[in-house]
Amino acid sequence: MNNLPKAVKNRKAALFWLADAACAIGGAAFLSLAVSIIPQGDIGFLSLAVIGLCTLYAARALMQAGAAVVGQYDADGARAGWRRACYPALLSAVPGDRRMLGEAVADAVDRIEDLDGYHARFLPLRLAAVAAPLMIALAAAPASPVAAAILLGTLLPFGLGMALAGTAASRAARRQLEALGRLSGLFVDRVRALPVIVGFGAQDRVSRQLEQATREVADRTLGVLRVAFLSGAVMEFFAALSVALVAVYCGFNLLDLLPFPAPERLTLGQALYVLLLAPEFYLPMRRLAAAYHEKQVGEAALERLAAMGQAGASAPASSPLPRPPALRFEAVVVDHGEARVGPFSFDVPAGRMTAIRAPSGMGKSSLLHALLGLARPGEGRIMVEDGAVALAALPGHVGWAGQAVALVPGTLADNIRLARPDASDAEVEAVARRAGLGPMIDARGQGLTLRLDHRGSGLSGGERRRIAIARVLLKDAPLWLLDEPTADLDAASAADIGAILRAEGRGRTVLLATHSEALAALADHQVVLT
Amino acid sequence: MNKADPETLLARAIAPQRPAVRAGMLCAAVAAVAGVCLLGLSGWFITGAALAGLGGVLVAQSYNYMLPSALIRLLAILRTASRYGERYYSHKAALLALATVRARLFDAILAARDARAWSAGEAVAGLVQDIGALEDRLVRKPALPAALAGGGAGLALTLLAGPWAALALLAILILLPWAALRLSPPMLNRPAAELAGALGRLKTDMIGYAQASPEIVAYGMAPALQQALEAEARTADRARLRLARGEALIGGLLTLGGGVAMAAALLLSDGPLPLRVLAALASAGAVESLGALVRGIMRDAVVGAGLERLRALAAQGEAGPASMAVEGLAGETLELPTPSGPLLLKAGERLAIIGPSGSGKTRLAEGLAGIRPQEGGGIRIDGHALADLPPDQVRALFALSPQEGGLLSGTVLDNLRLARPGIPEAEMWEALEAASLAQEVRAMPDGLNQWLGDGGMRLSGGQRKRLSIARALLAGRRWLVLDEPSEGLDAATEARLMRGLDGWLRRTGAGLILITHRPAPLALCERRFDLGAAASGN
Repeated sequence: MNNLPKAVKNRKAALFWLADAACAIGGAAFLSLAVSIIPQGDIGFLSLAVIGLCTLYAARALMQAGAAVVGQYDADGARAGWRRACYPALLSAVPGDRRMLGEAVADAVDRIEDLDGYHARFLPLRLAAVAAPLMIALAAAPASPVAAAILLGTLLPFGLGMALAGTAASRAARRQLEALGRLSGLFVDRVRALPVIVGFGAQDRVSRQLEQATREVADRTLGVLRVAFLSGAVMEFFAALSVALVAVYCGFNLLDLLPFPAPERLTLGQALYVLLLAPEFYLPMRRLAAAYHEKQVGEAALERLAAMGQAGASAPASSPLPRPPALRFEAVVVDHGEARVGPFSFDVPAGRMTAIRAPSGMGKSSLLHALLGLARPGEGRIMVEDGAVALAALPGHVGWAGQAVALVPGTLADNIRLARPDASDAEVEAVARRAGLGPMIDARGQGLTLRLDHRGSGLSGGERRRIAIARVLLKDAPLWLLDEPTADLDAASAADIGAILRAEGRGRTVLLATHSEALAALADHQVVLT
Repeated sequence: MNKADPETLLARAIAPQRPAVRAGMLCAAVAAVAGVCLLGLSGWFITGAALAGLGGVLVAQSYNYMLPSALIRLLAILRTASRYGERYYSHKAALLALATVRARLFDAILAARDARAWSAGEAVAGLVQDIGALEDRLVRKPALPAALAGGGAGLALTLLAGPWAALALLAILILLPWAALRLSPPMLNRPAAELAGALGRLKTDMIGYAQASPEIVAYGMAPALQQALEAEARTADRARLRLARGEALIGGLLTLGGGVAMAAALLLSDGPLPLRVLAALASAGAVESLGALVRGIMRDAVVGAGLERLRALAAQGEAGPASMAVEGLAGETLELPTPSGPLLLKAGERLAIIGPSGSGKTRLAEGLAGIRPQEGGGIRIDGHALADLPPDQVRALFALSPQEGGLLSGTVLDNLRLARPGIPEAEMWEALEAASLAQEVRAMPDGLNQWLGDGGMRLSGGQRKRLSIARALLAGRRWLVLDEPSEGLDAATEARLMRGLDGWLRRTGAGLILITHRPAPLALCERRFDLGAAASGN
């Protein structure tokens, strides 16, 4: 399924830029008219021409502002589309993804922001840069067909210059975004690992590494900018030379000094009009050149976002499991890219508690992740109800307690409610107490409104586990996937949680990965992976 | 003043880039003068040529057209080259300076007293996005010289056509930046701050959620969370739209000003026609050269919002009062407070700390490792209260393997190297052997260079723990602090790990503080302290 957003056309903003060019033609006409009137000394006429000039420049101001605002609307639409495509990839990232978390976040925020200038300015300007010069040449033709021909003739080097610069720049822009992503990845990772870094006194080394990464971003960005500025300079140079060419032609025509027989004889008004139009002829292309960096970065960002959006094609919504399912693993191999674990074959009977035991590092967690589609089964297959239910139907309809308990900033109740957002306060409190959080709720004096931060600071290992159990209880699903639910707990607490799981899990399919013999002994049967 | 104040950091970072800044300014001034002269000269040339042409062949022949036309070409080249130089040098100075600011601000984060207080999302939003917003201020440094040079050249040329035209231009040149200065803050400051805030929150939320991906998938929370994130993103979009609208309106004044300036020059100038045309076009050029200055004034809103957020970030990183270092602190004795009087440990002794969940075992371990500030408390090292010692000195005595492992996104090698600089490879293997992980690392396709995924999540829970223990061993500290070292291990691996640790401790003579509630690790320790009993005894 391809859920990548369609390309945005940006026609409306381009129309505003064309209107701006039309006003520029009018402005040039009034100015040259005014200059032609001055020798005659007709103040009334002169005033009219000058008022016309001012009016048209006011209109230009409005058109330019309109182009910017309408372009911004279009860019907002494009960004919203890419967010819809890319956020699922971030929210269902495979634990232990190849990329660092900070890189993914940089893509989902910064790269989508990079699309702003591309859609708001570059794309409309590109449309305008084709049509506006033709319009101006057409307007210049009645006054001086030769000057109009000169203008059109200089278009060719522009096109060539743009094409040449484009191919050289795209690779540099890709590398720039890679370096930026890496920098974000390092910042996020090293801040997360700050306690360890500080504990080992490794601040200097980490600081040097980060300084290097910031330098790399600066160097790569400068490399991309150099290409953008160079192509901008080439544009400007051609524009200036072409304007000078028109100026010299007009001047020599007026002096009647042309080395070739002139097909036309210009008046001062006509010459000035053409001369004023010449810079306007190149203005759209110069504006385009100024937005060139936004093109480079925007296109490279689109590439990264397309890769991210494809990875995150969201699963279709499914209906809840009707009853506790039976699971069957058939020669399942979990593929981590470099390392593979398996093959594993075993049955998980419906409505029973099954414990998986295996030496550390054998891939118990990966098997549970595979049930959620978070780890790729490289070979083999996992059957739910003998294939009557698709594996993709499980996410969203299971109880889950993983090795690490994820906490989001918010209250204790918010964190438990993640499992079922429509649960009432009473329901949340009830499961919290059933999971054994009662003493903590009473002791802290804030009840369920206790605020937790991103690290869950102030929670003990056992309290985190109990939050995860409370979520499982709140979800009340027919299938539970539990990964070491009693890790980090003392024997008494572990026994307590084991008893809760045993009692509450009765009649459900419970798949439990654990090293704890005491916990495994509670299961109806055990699978040992070797 | 705070060392990490962003303005100070910025000033310090830009100092070494001064030559590039100056080159950028010079180029900008040259480009502005060349631009104004180019426009004015072209108009004068054509008008002059027309009048000469009207005067007949003789006058036309004597009209000097060679010099102006050559001058026009020269000015065109000059403007192009100097415009490129301006952009290149000012961006170079800005980017290199910002790289330094990023590194120094990260240093401030590293130096914070409470290492656990930082949110990765807030930090990365500040270090990447808010510092990026400062780029505008640095890049636009040449805007003022460009505006002065361009305006000055325009005024000089207009003056040729009489004082009134020049006076009108001067008024417009003053009025436009003044209007931008007056209009920008009320129109742009709020949206700029909202934009930066919304993007920062978006990043923080995303990082929080992304770490919970198994829960999100298991409970099907993705659509709800996505909606929440998109709502935040829309807040950013709305703010940006208001920003764009304000900037477009203020920018429109500049366009309008150009038209009015030309009109005023035509109406108010006197003298010969070529000079009046020159005055009109030079006026337009002078107004155009204000462009960068006016845009810079508008971008100040974004820069200000970035600075404001960075100030908050830097304030969070206050290092706290510095404590006096104690000469010769070696960690020979360690004193822990208990209800029945202090518990005294001598170097090389091994203590197991037990107690039910929630009795504060981890808090104690983090306090010892110097990563959680101690308030009072009775822990003493060599007779000095830990709370009074500089954190660096405390940290140099203890090597912690935290409960959650605390691995870097990187390779096995990256993680082990964190322990101390210049560890020989043989020693790494010894430590991996002691931590009972060597065999598994050898079996990895890339061995020590195996990429472990984000936060080491490609390893199993037990493997992460053992790698973190191997790293703590390599630090070579007086005391080893292990928080639940055998959690997530099967019994056989746990037994091997304990034998390996025992051997390592014997060889190095390091002391051990071990936090556990499993029976096997207890055998490693000759002494035991029950934190739960201590708490209930209170």
